[in-house]
Amino acid sequence: MYLRIRVCIAILIFISLHNLYADTISNIFLNEVIVKDSFLDTKKKTTVQSMEIIAKNYIQKRFSGNIINSIEDVAGVHSMDIGSGFSKPVIRGMAFNRIAVVENNIKQEGQQWGADHGLEIDALNVENITIHKGPGALLYGSDAMGGVIEINEKVIPFEDIFFGEFFAAAKSVNESVGASLMIGLKKNNWYSQLRYTEHRFGDYKIPTDTIIYLTQKIPIYNGRLKNTAGKENNISWLLKYRKERTSLQLQISDVYQKTGFFPGAHGIPDLSRVEDDGDSRNIDYPYSFVNHLKAIINGKYSFDNVIFSADVSFQNNHREEISLFHSHYPGQTAPQKDPDKELEFRLNTYQSIMKGVILSGDNVRHTIGVDVQSQNNEIGGYSFLLPQYDRVTLGGFIIGEYKLSSTLNLQGGVRYDIGRIRAEGYDDKYLYEYLISQGYESSMADNYQTRSYDVDKSYKSLSGAVGISWIPFNNHSFKFNIGRSFRLPGVNELASNGVHHGTFRHEQGDPNIKQEEGWQFDFSYDYTGEYIGFSVSPFLNRYSNYIYLRPTGEWSVLPHAGQIYRYTGCKAMLVGGELTGYLKLPMNFRYELAADYVYTRNEDEKLPLAFSPQPALRQTLSFEKSGFNIYVQSHIIGVQKRIARNEDITKSASLWHGGVSYELPFKKYKAELILSARNIFNVRYYNHLSFYRKMEIPEPGRSFNLMLKIPFKAKI
Amino acid sequence: MKSIISKIKLVLSLLLIVFVSSCDDDNEIDVVKPVINLIEPENEDILLTGEEVHFEMELSDDIMLGSYKVEIHNNFNGHDHSNFNNHNLYILNQSNQITRSESERDPFAYNRSWDLSGKKNVHIHHHEIVIPKDAATGEYHLIVYCTDAAGNESYVVRHIVIDDAD
Repeated sequence: MYLRIRVCIAILIFISLHNLYADTISNIFLNEVIVKDSFLDTKKKTTVQSMEIIAKNYIQKRFSGNIINSIEDVAGVHSMDIGSGFSKPVIRGMAFNRIAVVENNIKQEGQQWGADHGLEIDALNVENITIHKGPGALLYGSDAMGGVIEINEKVIPFEDIFFGEFFAAAKSVNESVGASLMIGLKKNNWYSQLRYTEHRFGDYKIPTDTIIYLTQKIPIYNGRLKNTAGKENNISWLLKYRKERTSLQLQISDVYQKTGFFPGAHGIPDLSRVEDDGDSRNIDYPYSFVNHLKAIINGKYSFDNVIFSADVSFQNNHREEISLFHSHYPGQTAPQKDPDKELEFRLNTYQSIMKGVILSGDNVRHTIGVDVQSQNNEIGGYSFLLPQYDRVTLGGFIIGEYKLSSTLNLQGGVRYDIGRIRAEGYDDKYLYEYLISQGYESSMADNYQTRSYDVDKSYKSLSGAVGISWIPFNNHSFKFNIGRSFRLPGVNELASNGVHHGTFRHEQGDPNIKQEEGWQFDFSYDYTGEYIGFSVSPFLNRYSNYIYLRPTGEWSVLPHAGQIYRYTGCKAMLVGGELTGYLKLPMNFRYELAADYVYTRNEDEKLPLAFSPQPALRQTLSFEKSGFNIYVQSHIIGVQKRIARNEDITKSASLWHGGVSYELPFKKYKAELILSARNIFNVRYYNHLSFYRKMEIPEPGRSFNLMLKIPFKAKI
Repeated sequence: MKSIISKIKLVLSLLLIVFVSSCDDDNEIDVVKPVINLIEPENEDILLTGEEVHFEMELSDDIMLGSYKVEIHNNFNGHDHSNFNNHNLYILNQSNQITRSESERDPFAYNRSWDLSGKKNVHIHHHEIVIPKDAATGEYHLIVYCTDAAGNESYVVRHIVIDDAD
């Protein structure tokens, strides 16, 4: 038995070595949990890039509403909270379009450029996650320069089986309740899985009774942030066929999220708008909803020495922001249809990836691939933020993986991308008339009325990476990587011109802005002993062009706007690292540590970059015995004094979290009951990355989370 | 066991290095915002049509001030500004002269900036803002923005009411 597992692991070592990222073929072997874990560990060791693999169990245990909150315990990962229940990922200080979230090889395409837009993924429909902290440009092209969050393919049971899982969760901080039901069926060559998830949550509680925004004292009634309630409905269906050399998979998912905006932070605060409406669960104006529909087909055929795969996908991201009709310029009247629809985006993305993996002997493997993506964004609403645009990218890549010896692996590759972005100009005639009526010159009014510039730009980029992993002794592993990556400018960075309704700044794009490009270096050392283990992973990223929003010192003439902020390229540096460790203590106790730090610098201005994460240190003491687990965590968040212009210093905080979980026998299955508490001492603290930070709205207060998971199965 | 302890020490000292290095500062760079002490008008002040606004404030910056801007716009019906149509606004140009007026009462809007370069502390006191005689009465926002020479910006919002003298 032992030998069989070892052989299996050995095979997996080989396979994983040839798997830069997830590959379906490897999962064929994953019929035993023990093997799977070893496989993941091995994959982590031999892959040349720094990566963290997070198991489903962990994600569910830390579940607190969304996928990013579940993984933010990982050193180097932070969550940028949108308020309400939604978040977006930050890896090593990089966020927005600089992080790719990938499911079934396909990059999630929503409105990730927006600071107030979350990530439309059902956290409970995720089994394992791999976090790549370095650049992922080689496989995923533009947008993956800061890192990749890869949602791994679902593990399929080996035997014919009917199985499922019921999951229920409740959370006190926003009185959320949620449930998720999954059923799966594996019969011969077919496998199908269906999941439905629903969450509903009320206004969330913050540990304060007043906030100060724009020098106005804004009362917070009953300690609740008004109108931050929301709901989420997700459905996902997977169908898979696998026979001998063929594997085919179809996954269709739909995620719908609706959430209110705190009215005191949407525009200039007006005390009448933050008054308690007596209902903490209603979603009043203003609010937003987003629906993300995604269909992905993955096909794979294995010849003797060549594995051919094709991934084809369609995504539709439909977001609307609804706010009672208002205009800063007279003359504009509410539209007949949908009078309160402020903004609408309909983003359609088609992406297809073709790959051929050529195996030459046991130790050499080459991957050649082509990646095509086409995007189209349609807009609506009485207000304007982002133009109508289309974007096409085409990339070709070749990756070589060489096992030089039993202890040394080498990987390298190059990729060439071309891209074209076309944005449609947009003029606001009401604004023009307003400015003329205010006595401005017509040339000036003309400049301001252009809310979006006409853009038609082409880009090309050569990127590449090379890395080694070296395992000189059993418990020690070293990794070193050098990569060059790029990112095409976002449409907001190219075309926008006007007051952003969320940030209340006049933000101006630059149609001639250059793409982002930079070099990235990272190193890691891992020691995994029986009683003690740690890893150190420093990194250095240097960008010859990094796009940021620069305050120009020029006053905007628009109402509600101060100075103009213009997207500008600069030389930038991000340097930092993560430190993690564990210590097995006597009597089933275990101590874990995770710390991270990022130093950012705009080399042109000799200033830090905006949204630099606060350093974090998490120490966890846990006890586990026969299905019973208890942990207590100290979470220290450092001060962020290194701020960009017009950011505020964010103070340090010391938080405590804890939890208990118990596997209770339920008929012949093991149900799991998890009770956890976040921010036990109800500390009032701020997150430098939060959308609500600049409004001085603190992070959520104490929360008790209760979760119940009941798995079931029946042989057929 | 000793080796474990030494390893822990190593881990902790590395940790210390990471955190100590976080104390580095770009001291030479100015990220401190200017300070606005707006004395007049105060919150909920009533400004009268046809009269000058008594405007008084103190501005200061640790390095050098840049400029300031005063912006006034209406806040009719809270956040719902939909009640007006076919407006002929007061033309209040940069030199503060009313160039056109209509019998219908229209909302008042104001946007003007003043240069402060070369100064570190200033006391501003003027009556340059004039509310037109037949400005639409009601709630308005008055916002004072101030930048320093480096582009750091701060602002203050006042909820004001414009009303007729009688």
